[in-house]
Amino acid sequence: MSAVLPHPVAPGHDHDHDHDHDHAHGQPHGWRRWLFATNHKDIGTMYLVFAFTMFLIGGTLALLIRLELFQPGLQYFNPELFNQFTTMHGLIMVFGAIMPAFVGFANWMIPMQIGAADMAFARMNNLSFWLLIPAALMLASGFFLPGGAPAAGWTLYAPLTLQMGASMDSSIFALHLMGASSIMGSINIIVTILNMRAPGMTLMKMPMFCWTWLITAYLLIAVMPVLAGAITMTLTDRHFHTSFFNPAGGGDPVMYQHIFWFFGHPEVYIMILPAFGIVSQVVPAFARKRLFGYTSMVYATSSIAILSFIVWAHHMYTTGMPVTGQLFFMYATMLISVPTGVKVFNWLATMWRGSMTFEAPMLWAVGFIFVFTMGGFTGLICSMAPIDIQLQDTYYVVAHFHYVLVAGSLFGMFSGFYYWSPKWTGVMYNELRGKIHFWTSLVFFNLTFFPMHFLGLAGMPRRVADYPMQFTDFNQVASIGGLCFGLSQVYFLLFIVIPVMRGKGEPAPQRPWEGAEGLEWEVPSPAPWHTYETPPKLDRTATKVIG
Amino acid sequence: MAQTPELRRKNRRLGIALFTVALVFGLGFFAKAMWFGL
Repeated sequence: MSAVLPHPVAPGHDHDHDHDHDHAHGQPHGWRRWLFATNHKDIGTMYLVFAFTMFLIGGTLALLIRLELFQPGLQYFNPELFNQFTTMHGLIMVFGAIMPAFVGFANWMIPMQIGAADMAFARMNNLSFWLLIPAALMLASGFFLPGGAPAAGWTLYAPLTLQMGASMDSSIFALHLMGASSIMGSINIIVTILNMRAPGMTLMKMPMFCWTWLITAYLLIAVMPVLAGAITMTLTDRHFHTSFFNPAGGGDPVMYQHIFWFFGHPEVYIMILPAFGIVSQVVPAFARKRLFGYTSMVYATSSIAILSFIVWAHHMYTTGMPVTGQLFFMYATMLISVPTGVKVFNWLATMWRGSMTFEAPMLWAVGFIFVFTMGGFTGLICSMAPIDIQLQDTYYVVAHFHYVLVAGSLFGMFSGFYYWSPKWTGVMYNELRGKIHFWTSLVFFNLTFFPMHFLGLAGMPRRVADYPMQFTDFNQVASIGGLCFGLSQVYFLLFIVIPVMRGKGEPAPQRPWEGAEGLEWEVPSPAPWHTYETPPKLDRTATKVIG
Repeated sequence: MAQTPELRRKNRRLGIALFTVALVFGLGFFAKAMWFGL
């Protein structure tokens, strides 16, 4: 892959030392290069390839769900298999696609953006990635075990999880491994950012992508162990005669929900904050202005992260909590819209009177702001206890979180891919194809998920394979939209990703975007295998190398 | 370039501290639940 070919010496690279270095640790070739990878760029590439593969698998499951829902009645799958599809779609997308993809971005970009030679713990970085492969295999193996894959929903609620077959055990182990991988990745990112920044790169001069990832990594360390604890208790309930969540033994299934959502709500921000970081880099580059309100962006991101710990029970209004509890979680949830609003208005203010152009990265970033904000508004609606009690477990909620996670996380990642892929691969992607990918994705995304608001308001429940006749039209629109959205992503793979990975396209200049600032644009394209082997000297803004 | 011994030590210290936090959150939470209930 041209994305990772060796390249002439980069700024901050010690020539004499380089000679010795290449003799001592020559770049490995063949399968050894990937299996024993310690280079952050190689590991980043592996993360991104893994995540995209999981995205296609999870997407295929989504299309099977939409196929069944194309018509009322049961056409292709029985309800048990349908529930396995919804569960596995959620688990694969959250733990296999979105989270690893952002770690891939972090691996590629954070060392280059802060002027570090590599991640702090290069071998642990390798282990973090390779743990994902057995985890993914264990997760997917559920379909082939007696009783089929887990069908308790991605939230793995008890007591359903206590009644599932062997696949629940393999899924729990898979989540343990993925959690361990995430924790190791987070430790690596925090240590790299705090200890390995180039002299002059103070925290408040750091690119926003590094800031959002630093905060995300702290969130991960705080909540992944909680999930691990909860699913381990599920495991002991299943096999070791405990009754944490088993009502038959005096356990409390609602307690599982509290623990799960103490993890689950920060998890939502784990999946969106790095996308905020990407958009905060792309918008200034294409508006040709500095980011408006950098400091407030940092504090807003931190506020969102802190508030994410005190809102978990807004997922549980219908479990019978006291009204005072509902009020607390309702107001706390609404409070998150304040720092989120700060971010959205800062992006808009950055664009205000900017000299804007709309290449693919900017299209995705603007698309992100537009559609993510819609998901934010429906989130506010869902935060209100009296309304949410009506909307709980309907398609309105499905529409809401897909507006946040697809239009948020995924659109943010696409923006990042188009923005940084010239640096990764050394070639420019085809701009027309990038625009086709954006517009088809935007239109078909809305075609898929916008009708779900109406379905939810009319009372269509989620995770049910059948529905009454009156819901047919909107379901058919959603299914057609879903199929076309999926085809857009196949187009992206075949006509954009594969060509640039093969090095086909115009050679990319060192700084392909006129308004882009940051240390990643101070190295040639493609980025050399080793960058910033000696700490670079930075200018006052910490965006340029001066020696 | 390999990390200097000083940087390596500094990294290791912070890494172990963060790992301990994760371990205490996870194992501590689970152990507390096992011994004293949730």
